[in-house]
Amino acid sequence: MDSEDDMHDAHDMESLEDDDFYSGDTEEGAMDYYSDYDDDAGDYFDDADKIESRRPEQNFTILKESDIRVRQEDDIDRVAAVLSVSRVAASILLRHHNWSVSKVHDAWFADEERVRKAVGLLEKPVVQHPNTSELTCGICFENYPRSGIGMASCGHPYCFSCWEGYISTSINDGPGCLMLRCPEPTCGAAIGQDMIDLLACNEDKEKYARYLRRSYIEDNKKSKWCPAPGCEYAVTFDAGGGNYDVSCLCSYSFCWNCTEEAHRPVDCGTVVKWIMKNSAESENMNWILANSKPCPKCKRPIEKNQGCMHITCTPPCKFEFCWLCLGAWSDHGERTGGFYACNRYEAAKQEGVYDDTERRREMAKNSLERYTHYYERWASNQSSRQKALADLEQMQNVHIEKLSDTQCQPESQLKFITEAWLQIVECRRVLKWTYAYGYYLPEHEGAKKQFFEYLQGEAESGLERLHQCAEKELQQFLTAEGQSKEFNDFRTKLAGLTSVTKNYFENLVRALENGLSDVDANGASFSKATSSKNAAGSSKGRAGRGKGALRTNRTSDDTHWSCEHCTSVNVKSATTCQICNQRR
Amino acid sequence: MANSNLPRRIIKETQRLLSEPAPGISASPSEDNMRYFNVMILGPTQSPYEGGVFKLELFLPEEYPMAAPKVRFLTKIYHPNIDKLGRICLDILKDKWSPALQIRTVLLSIQALLSAPNPDDPLSENIAKHWKSNEAEAVETAKEWTRLYASGA
Ligand SMILES: [Zn+2]
Ligand SMILES: [Zn+2]
Ligand SMILES: [Zn+2]
Ligand SMILES: [Zn+2]
Ligand SMILES: [Zn+2]
Ligand SMILES: [Zn+2]
Ligand SMILES: [Zn+2]
Repeated sequence: MDSEDDMHDAHDMESLEDDDFYSGDTEEGAMDYYSDYDDDAGDYFDDADKIESRRPEQNFTILKESDIRVRQEDDIDRVAAVLSVSRVAASILLRHHNWSVSKVHDAWFADEERVRKAVGLLEKPVVQHPNTSELTCGICFENYPRSGIGMASCGHPYCFSCWEGYISTSINDGPGCLMLRCPEPTCGAAIGQDMIDLLACNEDKEKYARYLRRSYIEDNKKSKWCPAPGCEYAVTFDAGGGNYDVSCLCSYSFCWNCTEEAHRPVDCGTVVKWIMKNSAESENMNWILANSKPCPKCKRPIEKNQGCMHITCTPPCKFEFCWLCLGAWSDHGERTGGFYACNRYEAAKQEGVYDDTERRREMAKNSLERYTHYYERWASNQSSRQKALADLEQMQNVHIEKLSDTQCQPESQLKFITEAWLQIVECRRVLKWTYAYGYYLPEHEGAKKQFFEYLQGEAESGLERLHQCAEKELQQFLTAEGQSKEFNDFRTKLAGLTSVTKNYFENLVRALENGLSDVDANGASFSKATSSKNAAGSSKGRAGRGKGALRTNRTSDDTHWSCEHCTSVNVKSATTCQICNQRR
Repeated sequence: MANSNLPRRIIKETQRLLSEPAPGISASPSEDNMRYFNVMILGPTQSPYEGGVFKLELFLPEEYPMAAPKVRFLTKIYHPNIDKLGRICLDILKDKWSPALQIRTVLLSIQALLSAPNPDDPLSENIAKHWKSNEAEAVETAKEWTRLYASGA
């Protein structure tokens, strides 16, 4: 029987792998929708990047309150057992050594006497009271029978009411109470939880227990609380892996190192600089945060209430424009064969977009204008991300169920929609931080800057497509009365876009984290490639995209080869063409 | 009255302060408030404060002895750990306070502080700087102030 079960398990595993294989197929199908994206920008990320981009093993663990308790009790038990001391003593030792079991062990076995002295664990009392029936409390100076006096291991006598006052003062002073010592200043004997439980009032006992629990997270170098407001989970983190991103069960992602929200591919130092810059400029930036702008054509105020940057003015105007630069969408959109280039500060400036309004003219000071460009895009992606999070929730709570009805699909078959939205949220986050990255890219590194803006532009246009598909193309099915034939096509498209966008962004993050080191080797060819693309941007039409120029450039370096059959550029290590599957 | 239910501890401490005063220190409760003490400390020998008589006030708050007494110099003094309002930078008056300490121990600690100024933990930035950059000159100023503001009477 047992072995039969095992066989079943093995079979299940295989069929799971099969599923993976097939979903891999869908990805390739999606390249049709996404060919621009993948075959030129994608080329820039060579094989090495792709291998590295596989996420290392997750190096953090989220702890719920019950997990924290169990771990803390386990550690205390371990120390108590190894050192043969009481659990209270073990807890005191751990508190003094930042809850590191190994540090306690090392210190203790190196010099037990020194450790005992430092933390106040005495082996015998310092004062003794032989044959006295009455003792004087060292705080209130009253005499008490022995039964009315409490003492720690040292033997210094205090009455119960003075103990309670002493302990209460300390607990209400904060977590320092976890290091409480005997009131006698020359003594130093530790007052542990056993004394607290014996002598403090109930309210104080609870407070103390809470401090002890919190200390296990806060004083432990390997753990932190999730910084999301109201979240009570903690995270433990194991060094190594070089990636500080942590995502909590509450869905908040943050940086382990600096506890700001997750900010890959930007490093912690840049984040601090950027946040300080933002607060320094915040007064000037207030107007940007206003979420309405005049329509560039009819001047009526437009409120942006969708996540993507493609805005359509209300009828009768119906002018389609880009929220960021207020330029006509037709100059950006994929339909014209142009490219979504709203990230390009220099280009926008030359076109005079920034002279649009009186207000902007006031801000003509160059540095502020430059900052404004990056800040506005940073903030827009931030609010797009917030909006996407809200949409995701709406999707999960309302729409999926309804869609499942109208399209006669089980909810499990609609997972691709939530996955798309999760991907949008993540991409908005990355894209947002690329603007802080761009702001701090040195001006003089021209080739790097151009390459960066190219990659960012591709990322942006790819994400816009995904966002638009998930937001606008989905709309028709949400309002549809019954099943639509197009729904399966929509699935293929959205799932494909999601997967391709995911890959692109993972590679983008990797490339930026590597400081765009590719450019150092290939600076000249990149700058050529991008400038020919730039020029192509204005002349409409597919051929004008500058792919030819790009390809020729790429084939001339020795890390790539050009396919004889379809002319696609492939990375050196690929033995078959990634587009037509012919052998090299 | 404030004195009506004075804790036994305060009464005992007061009695002892009066019956066995510490050398160079006197402390007596005010007539209308037994929690308020008039204190005099003699400048320790071989310190810049030698020969001076320094007046202080000491007050025992409601929470005493769970909270530290409040002590302040009334006599002007040139000392890196005492500011111009007479406030004193002394650990046992702050985070190192313990209810097992007493008025007597506090006053002895203040006396010791006069013998051993600590410019590394200053309350008065300027005096501390002076002390560190030119100790001999700072000591002279302290002696001068002792003569001017703390000479008996
Ligand atoms: Zn007592
Ligand atoms: Zn003791
Ligand atoms: Zn959380
Ligand atoms: Zn960080
Ligand atoms: Zn309009
Ligand atoms: Zn634009
Ligand atoms: Zn090919």
